[in-house]
Amino acid sequence: MNRLRTLSRMDWAFSFAGLMLVLFIVLPLIATILASNPSEFASGVGDVGVLASLWLTFFAALLATLIALVVGLPLAYLLARRDFPGKNVIQGIIDLPIIIPHTAAGVALLMVFGRRGLLGGPFASLGLYFTENLAGIVVAMLFVSLPLLVDTARESFSRVDPRLEGVARTLGATHWTAFRKVTLPLAWRGIVSGSVLMWARGISEFGAVVILAYNPKTISVLIYERFAGFGLAAALPVTALLLVLALIILVLTRTVLLPRKRKHSRPDSRSRGSRGDPR
Amino acid sequence: MVCVSWLMTGCSGPGSNSETTASDSSAGHKATLRVLFAGSLIIPFAQLEKEFEAGHPTIDVNMEGHGSIQAVRIVGDLDESADLVITADYRLVPLLLYAANNPDTGLPYASWNVVFATNKMVLAYAPHSRFADEVDEQNWPDVIARPGVRVGCSDPRLDANGYRALMTVKLAERVYGRPTLFADIFGGIFRIPIRVSRNGDSDLISVPEVLETKSGSDLVLRPYSVSLLPLLKSGDIDYAFEYESVARQHGLNYLALPAEINLGDTAREEDYAAVTVKLDFQRFTSVKPEFAGEIIRYSATIPSNSSEPEAAAELLAFLLGPEGQRVMAENFQPMIVPVVADNLEAVPEAVKMYCAED
Repeated sequence: MNRLRTLSRMDWAFSFAGLMLVLFIVLPLIATILASNPSEFASGVGDVGVLASLWLTFFAALLATLIALVVGLPLAYLLARRDFPGKNVIQGIIDLPIIIPHTAAGVALLMVFGRRGLLGGPFASLGLYFTENLAGIVVAMLFVSLPLLVDTARESFSRVDPRLEGVARTLGATHWTAFRKVTLPLAWRGIVSGSVLMWARGISEFGAVVILAYNPKTISVLIYERFAGFGLAAALPVTALLLVLALIILVLTRTVLLPRKRKHSRPDSRSRGSRGDPR
Repeated sequence: MVCVSWLMTGCSGPGSNSETTASDSSAGHKATLRVLFAGSLIIPFAQLEKEFEAGHPTIDVNMEGHGSIQAVRIVGDLDESADLVITADYRLVPLLLYAANNPDTGLPYASWNVVFATNKMVLAYAPHSRFADEVDEQNWPDVIARPGVRVGCSDPRLDANGYRALMTVKLAERVYGRPTLFADIFGGIFRIPIRVSRNGDSDLISVPEVLETKSGSDLVLRPYSVSLLPLLKSGDIDYAFEYESVARQHGLNYLALPAEINLGDTAREEDYAAVTVKLDFQRFTSVKPEFAGEIIRYSATIPSNSSEPEAAAELLAFLLGPEGQRVMAENFQPMIVPVVADNLEAVPEAVKMYCAED
């Protein structure tokens, strides 16, 4: 109670505003879960199609995230550590997928990865296709969600004191070793947090995915199909299931994977995956 | 676009518009109309909206293209208010709007329906499609059945064009003397197959609840027929079943199909009736809809929960009258004149003058 009494009027006003926002997010989740009765929910959980779709979605988003880690981390490091001409342009390009409407992204990807596309053409002659399969889903997810990983990783790299790398180098470490043994471990929380964000964003993607691959169905396409073809009642159990899973994943990441303890980090908000600019 | 948001409400408020017009709406009141329509009309309806609004400054038209089934469901299942509902299959209106009551009024969502347009099924393709240089009106059944030729079809569970494509292919078996054509194209590629049973002299095509193509299949499904067009352009499908109006609006190459199978010739209704598509699962109101083959009939209705029925009737009259007919003709969309009403009594006066009784 003491703590409450010390709250200023501004704190009360801000808390009220914040509470409205939290309710705005939480209410639809609660309403959905309440609207689908337990037996329907159970049928959603037990539905082989739903489980296969969930697995496909989680797996495709994981693949997209792994690809982004391999090619995105080096870029994130360069953006954080080096100055080079065109850096701002590169940064802008990386963020482009955030502002492109995702259906437009899907069409654009089709023009590149379609069977007669810039890359799709050569790949097609090797028998590799990017529509109606896992590869198409991964490409769509990768495109729309990679900014989340690259941006978060860039910020955590830039928060690692460059002098630490310098020290490692003076002690005889190569660039590679200094990166692997010093910078990467210090930045890992941000990288993991960015990976989780990207993975989650990939799971939720619909617009680009449905253009490249209607089949096999990711969970967002499945929900849309049930909603469009079978009605609200059919879409609710799957939606509720997905919301519950998302909640579990989020709680697990916040509590197990990224605990609040910050023994080695500097007093900033790094471990919360904040995207605030340190500079 | 396929998934236009339905969240925009059809609400209207007092506007500050001081212009007076010959419209029924009183001066100073700006009516906002929410029009839910079949996606295949998206191009002519964009033009219709522009021309109508130019002559009716007190009416603001919001056009929402959807698959026909979805357009009807927004009113009948989601209980959203709309001012005009236009489907590519008139049978969806009795099925989903007459049969369901608005909980607020206890009245059905609609009580009349006017049939005003038709179309033809065609096989669209692109200049780079496989065998584009040799395909013609005679050999297309062979060409699309060849291994490696990818065929696009909209989802028969969501889109009228999808179940019509099934009918066209089934009907083509007799006309072309290829009794295995349907099986060649739709057989063995779905995890749960589409079944065909013989019922006297007609064929019953049963579409299962889950329609998922196996990997590596040459058939590509999309929720709506218009969403096949980018795939046709990108070369990811070679041929697609489309409406003739859509193929022409987009400047696609296409094969006109014979009258016996294109679902667009009134003289051939009996031929079309030789095939029926059944959506073989519980849906919406525990019905398993069956669609017997017949000519393509687009229909329009003003739902009972419309908040601007007079303005909606004005727009519908504009669509059915000379201006609308010209817009449709400019976009290769054939009309049915006079319009056929199933319940002429209930049709608004402004619309009645274009109608004949069923």
